[in-house]
Amino acid sequence: MKTTLRYDQLSCHLQVEGLPDVSIGQVGEVVGIITAWTLQWSGRPALEGRKEHLLALMQVVLPYARHLISGVARPFGDDPQPVRIAPAAEGPGHRLQLRSSQPDTPPLELALDDAELSDLVRLLDQLRLDPRLQLALDLPEPQPLRPREVLQRVPRRQRLVAPVGGALVVALVAGLSWLWPTPKPLPSPPAATTPAAPAP
Amino acid sequence: MPVSSAASAPARLTRRGLERLDLLLLCVEALDLNGGEAMVWMSEQMGFTGLFPNRVELWKRRCYNPLRRTTRRGALDPAETDALIRILCALADRLYPMLRALLATAEPEEIRLQRWALFQSRLSELARERMNPRRVGVQTLLDPERGAPLRRQLVQALAFGSGTGGFERLRASLCDPAV
Repeated sequence: MKTTLRYDQLSCHLQVEGLPDVSIGQVGEVVGIITAWTLQWSGRPALEGRKEHLLALMQVVLPYARHLISGVARPFGDDPQPVRIAPAAEGPGHRLQLRSSQPDTPPLELALDDAELSDLVRLLDQLRLDPRLQLALDLPEPQPLRPREVLQRVPRRQRLVAPVGGALVVALVAGLSWLWPTPKPLPSPPAATTPAAPAP
Repeated sequence: MPVSSAASAPARLTRRGLERLDLLLLCVEALDLNGGEAMVWMSEQMGFTGLFPNRVELWKRRCYNPLRRTTRRGALDPAETDALIRILCALADRLYPMLRALLATAEPEEIRLQRWALFQSRLSELARERMNPRRVGVQTLLDPERGAPLRRQLVQALAFGSGTGGFERLRASLCDPAV
């Protein structure tokens, strides 16, 4: 029997249709096999796809949000992946790109603001933590970032100011010390003279 | 992807993590005039009475923030840290419509700016009252210009930390190494 899972947020709605996987003994209103899904945005075209596309969406959007909490905005989703998300080049906001597997179909781009992105993250969280979805999603657990990733949130120019400034000061002091005249050697003290013997 | 040891194990936060956790709780108080009471109520609702039997105990845990006027030395117990993060996530979930309204760009610019100005004035008032004004972090937070990205990041963290899956995300973020 087909089961439909629905999740709603203010700007988007997700509907997942599926069946229980009877081969592993699933029964009742659970989803073990996703047959179709639809993500509807208000005022934008609806997104549809197979299970792999939904998984790809989760695999890029959730780590992206995890990094944003730490203040690191970096793109997720390399070329072979069907979904890519990156900070918008033209100011605040995010660009979600969906690449079609059909040849000669240009990728669909959606511009999202922070509120729409957090709505999407909440939807995906609701889906992945829904006990009715009995499917291994293979999503990594959120982890603390590496020190190098944390450093990325500070602009490179700002990061380089202190070491470059320090190196310049050292070079300047070293240069000035070369200009400082070397002290001349002190004249040697006059030879000690023996006092003349007194006349008798 | 980031790597670390077990993410689900209770985490011992660094001083920077405690600082951020308390600032996020301060943001909740700035968004909700009754936020302090809501924190105590939520702690009771979530069954953390054993860890925080009263508001003073809850307050003492928040005083591990090094930016506080009266700060406490040492580190919080991981169970207490997790409880505070859970309370924070639950409060953020309750306040999600307000967080969303602050982050949305669909509304007229004037209304958005008014919302941010109100949030900033409440947050500054609370920060002046409780934080050490000689600390650079507090001065940045209080500065209308320089503090804007920090305030936005705090609201963004609350929005992404709300909801069913927000706890793990927020906890992992608070465990980030200090560099």
